[in-house]
Amino acid sequence: MTIPIEAALAVAIPLLGLGTFLLLPHAHPRAKPRRVHLAGAGLAAVGLAALMLTLARPAEWLIATFFYAFALIALAGGLLTITHRDPVFNALCFALVLLATSALFLLVDAQFLAAGTVIVYAGAIVVTFLFVIMLAQAEGQALYDRMTRAPRLTTLASFLLLATLAYSVALVRGAERPLLKPQEYPSATGEATFAFKPSEIETRLVKASDLAGRAARSGDEPLRQVVRMALAPTASTAPAQLGDPARGLPPPHVASLGGSLYTEHLLTVELAGVLLFVALVGAASIAAPRPPQPLLRDTQTAPTPHLYP
Amino acid sequence: MTTIDLLGTFLKILIVVGISQGVVAYLILVERKIAAWAQDRIGPNRAGLELLDRPGFRRLAPLLRPLIGLGLLHPIADGVKMFVKEDVVPGYVNRPLYLLAPVLAITMATIAFAVVPFGPVGATGANFLGFGDVQFQIAPGIDIGILYVFAIGSLAVYGVILAGYSSNNKYSFLGAMRSSAQLISYELPLGLSILGIILICRSLDLNAIIHWQDRHVWGILVQPLGFLLFLISAFAETNRLPFDLPESEQELVGGFHTEYSALKFGMFFLGEYLHVITASFLITILFLGGWDIPFLTDQAQTGWFWALVKVFALLLKVGLLIILIMWVRWTLPRFRYDQLMDLAWKRMIPLALLNLVATATIVQLVRG
Repeated sequence: MTIPIEAALAVAIPLLGLGTFLLLPHAHPRAKPRRVHLAGAGLAAVGLAALMLTLARPAEWLIATFFYAFALIALAGGLLTITHRDPVFNALCFALVLLATSALFLLVDAQFLAAGTVIVYAGAIVVTFLFVIMLAQAEGQALYDRMTRAPRLTTLASFLLLATLAYSVALVRGAERPLLKPQEYPSATGEATFAFKPSEIETRLVKASDLAGRAARSGDEPLRQVVRMALAPTASTAPAQLGDPARGLPPPHVASLGGSLYTEHLLTVELAGVLLFVALVGAASIAAPRPPQPLLRDTQTAPTPHLYP
Repeated sequence: MTTIDLLGTFLKILIVVGISQGVVAYLILVERKIAAWAQDRIGPNRAGLELLDRPGFRRLAPLLRPLIGLGLLHPIADGVKMFVKEDVVPGYVNRPLYLLAPVLAITMATIAFAVVPFGPVGATGANFLGFGDVQFQIAPGIDIGILYVFAIGSLAVYGVILAGYSSNNKYSFLGAMRSSAQLISYELPLGLSILGIILICRSLDLNAIIHWQDRHVWGILVQPLGFLLFLISAFAETNRLPFDLPESEQELVGGFHTEYSALKFGMFFLGEYLHVITASFLITILFLGGWDIPFLTDQAQTGWFWALVKVFALLLKVGLLIILIMWVRWTLPRFRYDQLMDLAWKRMIPLALLNLVATATIVQLVRG
């Protein structure tokens, strides 16, 4: 069953947006009636189902089960993060989203990213959130902690963003198939043999894959090497002696990631390091205790605070 | 993954979880015996005495008497007590979070074992009933083994924070605040102190680290400072004395688990002892050679005999470390809170950074 992606997105995104809007805690001091929540949850579920129809199903049942379980946990957790009225629960649901996301990373074999997400976000940042929320809530919950500030604008903006993101992901995913199956590479004339009419991006990708396919079949060994490196996923470009599945050694995820970061993306890494360092210095200088300054110049008109018993 | 692999993995999970939780019960006995030894008294030796008077047990008396004398029935009595005591849930707690906290504490302590090798992994030749090689690890071949343990360890603080917050009690809250600050602070030197040995062994996989130490020397010889920093941080991360401020009884009643009783308290207790076991495993694997016995074992050795020798060597080292951790409890007094924070931020983190830079320089010079 093939559904045009534009149509699916046009149905799913507004439904999801409307459902989320109904679920958001508005400025009323009391919670919304239950039927509004139910309607919101129903709309969001229908939207989600429409979105899922456009996805290709994972091949293996075990992976498929885990994928759908963690994806559902992540989405439900994300919804609860923004709709629950207790800030501690919000932070906890955010932690749940992060855990589910790192599980999804693990399913696509991005081990380092998964561990890094848990250590940095769930283990440090959300814990700090919880810390601050608990310290700040000594006198009970304030109304501004329990409501959304501008529900209409935030919903509109975030779901516009989601629509563009989903559309571009869908475009790339639709164009990805010819790259993955080398036997479908077009003939030497450059004409593609696809059932659907290719868009411009797809045509360009097909031309690129045509070039790559020709280079891979040519007798030029350095050219073949370059093409193989360019087409292969990052993990397989690492030095072969580090990991060898035949000898029971795992593929070197971290080594290849490190190699890629410190060769191709060196400037980015250095820039990010400098940025973090500047932020650290800034935080330290803000937090440093300052010598007490005289609060009031005019001591005759105002009482001196430090003399207060 | 084939069905046999899946079944084997489930079997290994069952064995590891079952043994580790059973071992915890007896670790409590070991702890009490060491306490008694340090304080020059006899220690637990009474549980089960009343059994000797029951008519049905009279014939078993010669068998039971030595067990009772050594206190070996105490852990069983303790476990039964945890199950049958009244489970009080105070009326003023935040109920969902209050119930979630002990579950998180014990889950995070348990699933860290997934990547910890408890014997040789690789081509062991230890064939099990014709099903293929037994790998002494629940999930072998995880490239990020040590990072996984750290990720799970960084989640352990949730149990403590939620327990303290949901209990709605000032002692619990103060205990949770202290504990989370301590755990977050000591995670940094803990993580920094292992970077040196990772640089030297060129892998985050715990088995690769053991194999490097097997081929060369134990990690404690090439990273003495890293070992010291890791040991101290591990004490803090497991909330053991001298770092047990989260539940310092004189100030905070019971700390973050003041409001917990019966099995829920037992789950926190179990989690804490499981952390001690995990920390001992990590210290052994990173710095004490894992299953390696110098001049005797080799990663090329195959077959059941060598596999069992290696498992025994690893478990012996882990056991000695656990006894060391329990011994230290009776040697050092508790820190004051500002001393605790100063030690982490002003002493250990700079030392760990120094260790990292020095190691990186030397590694670069040696490798060229």
